[in-house]
Amino acid sequence: MSWQRLRSLLRREVLATFRDPFTVTILIAVPLVALLMFGFVLATDVRHLPLGVHDADGSVVSRRLVAELAANQTFDARPYATRAGLDRALVSGEIAAALVLPPRFARARRGGTPDDPPEVQVLYDGGETALAGNAEGFMRAQLAAAVREWLAAGDGTDRAPPPTGVTVVSRALFNPRLDGKPFMVAGTFGFVLSFLTVLITAVTIVNERVTGTFEQLQVTPATGFEILLAKILPLGAMFAVDVVIMVVVAGVVLQVWPAGSIVFFVAVSAFYVLVSLALGLVVSATSATAAEAVQKSVLFSVPLVQLSGFAFPIRNMPLVVRWIAEAFPATHYIRVSRAIYIRAAGPTEVVSELALLGLFGVLLMAYALRSIETRA
Amino acid sequence: METARNFWSNVGAVAYKEASVLRHDKALIGMVLAQPIMMLLLFGFALSNKPANVPWAVLDRSQTALSRRFVEAIRTSGYFLPPHAVGSYGEGREQLKTGRALAFLVVPAGFRRDTERDGAHVQLLLDGSDPLSSARIEAYVGQIAAAFATRPDAPRIVSPASLPGALAVRQRFWFNPTLNDRTFFLTAMAGMLLTNLCLSAMALGLVGERETGTYEQTLALPITPIEIVLGKIIPYVGMSYVLLVVATVAPGLLFGLWPRGSWIVLLLVSLPFVLGSLSAGVFVSAVSHTSAQAVFIAVFFILPSFVLSGVLFPYEFMPDGVRQVGMVFPLRWYQIALRRIVQRGAGFTDVIGPTLALVALFGVFLLATRSRIRARLG
Repeated sequence: MSWQRLRSLLRREVLATFRDPFTVTILIAVPLVALLMFGFVLATDVRHLPLGVHDADGSVVSRRLVAELAANQTFDARPYATRAGLDRALVSGEIAAALVLPPRFARARRGGTPDDPPEVQVLYDGGETALAGNAEGFMRAQLAAAVREWLAAGDGTDRAPPPTGVTVVSRALFNPRLDGKPFMVAGTFGFVLSFLTVLITAVTIVNERVTGTFEQLQVTPATGFEILLAKILPLGAMFAVDVVIMVVVAGVVLQVWPAGSIVFFVAVSAFYVLVSLALGLVVSATSATAAEAVQKSVLFSVPLVQLSGFAFPIRNMPLVVRWIAEAFPATHYIRVSRAIYIRAAGPTEVVSELALLGLFGVLLMAYALRSIETRA
Repeated sequence: METARNFWSNVGAVAYKEASVLRHDKALIGMVLAQPIMMLLLFGFALSNKPANVPWAVLDRSQTALSRRFVEAIRTSGYFLPPHAVGSYGEGREQLKTGRALAFLVVPAGFRRDTERDGAHVQLLLDGSDPLSSARIEAYVGQIAAAFATRPDAPRIVSPASLPGALAVRQRFWFNPTLNDRTFFLTAMAGMLLTNLCLSAMALGLVGERETGTYEQTLALPITPIEIVLGKIIPYVGMSYVLLVVATVAPGLLFGLWPRGSWIVLLLVSLPFVLGSLSAGVFVSAVSHTSAQAVFIAVFFILPSFVLSGVLFPYEFMPDGVRQVGMVFPLRWYQIALRRIVQRGAGFTDVIGPTLALVALFGVFLLATRSRIRARLG
C-alpha cells in the first residue's frame, strides 16, 4: 500500500464524480426530497375527517352531541336526512365515518339506566385501515368526554355509575405528542444512505467496466485494496456531507433535531455509509450494464423500505420474515439511528447493533475486494 | 379518411415491432411474473401496522392478587409478549430508552385500596419513538383497563365497545370488519404493480433504442412521433391488463378478497390509468440521455407515487401541500377508484371524478412527450 498511489487514485475518483452533473444533482436532490416526502406521510392525529351524521332524533340533546363532536376540528359533521343517504355516502367514499342517533335518543338518555343505556351507532370505512383505527380512538374519547360532561352537569341521571375499571394515565417519552415526523426522519437516513450509496457505486463502477476504464485501473501498479479505498473514500465523504445537510434540513424545515449527540450520529452514519458502499460494489460486480445495476438496486430497495422497519415495525411480522429482516444491514442502522435521534442513546446503548454492522462491513468489504481483484 | 387509415396502420406496425421485441425480453417477463408473487407475500403475510409481540416492562408496587390479575388481563389481550418485571422506576425507563420495552406499566402501591375509594389509576409510559405503535397500544391498554372489573360484585361490562353507564356505542367497520392491513394493501396492489411495469418498461423504450441506434432507423421511416409513441404503448396495454387480472384474481383466490363492484367498471377505469402511466414512462425516456439515467428518473417517479398516493400510507393524514403534490401521480387517482370499486362495490358514477383526473393526466404526459420528441427531431 502506497500513499502516493492512493492519493492520485483519490484525485481521479473525485474528478470523475464531480464531472457528471447528474450524479451531483442526485446526491443533493434525492436526500432532500426523500426527507420532505417521508417526513410528512406518517401522521397519527386526525383532522377534518368527514363525518356523516344521521340525526333521527333532532332534539336539543342530539344536536348538542353533534356540535360537541364537530367542535375540536377532528370531525367535519355533514348532516344526512336519511339512513340510506348515509350508507351511500360511506360507499362512495364521501365520508370516512358515520354516526347514527336513533329516534327518541334524548328521551332514552333521560330514562337510561346503567343496564340499558341509550345507544348510538358508529360506522367506519374500514377500507382505510389506519384512518379508521385512529378515528375510532378519537370518536371514543370524544363520546366519553361528552358523557362525563352530562354526568357532571347532573342532568338526567344524577346518580353517577359506581367507579369500576381502571383509569390509565399514559405518557409518551421522547416524543410526548406521538408526532410521526421524528420516526420517519430518523428512518429516512437509513433509506437514503442504503439506497443511494448502492445505486451510485453500482452505476459508476459498471459504467467504468463498460467503457473499459476499469481494466486500465486494474493494470496500473495499484493494488485491489487501494482501488477499493479510492472508490469508497470520496463517496463516503460526500455522503457524510449529505448526512449533515439532512440533519440541518430536518431540523430547520421539519423541526426535528437529534436528541442525542450530533457528532456521534454523523460518525455512526459515516461508518454505515462505508458498509453500504461495499454492498454497492458487490451489486456492481454482478451486473453487466448500468441499467441492470440500477434495476438491481431498485429491486433491493423494495425489501429495504418494507422489511427494514423503516415503514412497518419488524415485531409485527411473522417469525421467518423477522429473521430475514435482521439480515439487512439497513435494519440495524435504522434501529441505531432512531435510538440516537429520538431516544438520545449513547454508544453504550447501541454497541451490540454497531458490532453487527461492523461484521456486515468486514464481510462485504472482503467480498468486494475479491470481485475487484478477479473480475475484469 | 386516407390519413386516418395511414395513422392506424403506422401505429399498428410500430406496435407489432414492439410486441416482437417484448416477447424476447426475458428480464422484463421475469420481473412481471416475480413482482406479484413478492407483493402478495409481503402484503398478504408479512406487513402489518397492528401491534404484535410488543415487549413491555411492569413495575408492580402493589403486589396483590388484583394487580397481578390486571397485568394478566393486559398480557392475554394478544398484542404483548410476557412482561418483563422490573424492580424500580429507573430500571423501567432504562428499558424504554434502550428499546427493550415499548411500554412500561406502573401499578401504584395503593392500587387495591384505591379501587374501593374513588377508582384506581395506573401509569403507562410509552416509547414515543415509535408513534404509530405507541398510539395503538395506548388505546388497547386503555380499553382493557376500562373494562377491567376491579370488584367481584361490580357489574361486568360485557362489551368493551360500551362506555360505562350513560351511553352505549355500537360500532362496525364496514368493508373490512376486522380492520386488518392486508385488505388495505392488497386492494391497491394492482395499482402498484401496474405503476412498476409501465414506468420501468417504457422508461427504457426510447432511450434504449437511441443507444443501440435503432431509434434513428425508426425516425427515418415516414411516421410521426405521436404514432411512434402510441405504437410503443399498445403492446404494454395488453400486458398491463394481464397483470391487472392476475393482481385481482390472486388476492381473491388466496385471501377471499374478490372485487365487490363490477369487473367492467374496474377494467374501464384501468384504461386511462395504464395509458397515463405508460405515457409518463415515455416522457421519462424522452428526457433522459442514457438508459441508466432513465431507470433512475423512473425510480424517482415510482417511489413518490407509492409514498404520496395513499397505497401504503393514507393520504388523508398528510398535511396540506404534501397531499396536493400526490395529485400529480396517476396512482393517487387509481387507488381511490380501486378502493371504491374493490372494497365498497361502488358503481361507475362513484368513480367518475378519479377517472376524469386520470384522463387529464394522460393528456398532459402525452403532450409533454410530444414536445420533447419533436425537439429531438429538429
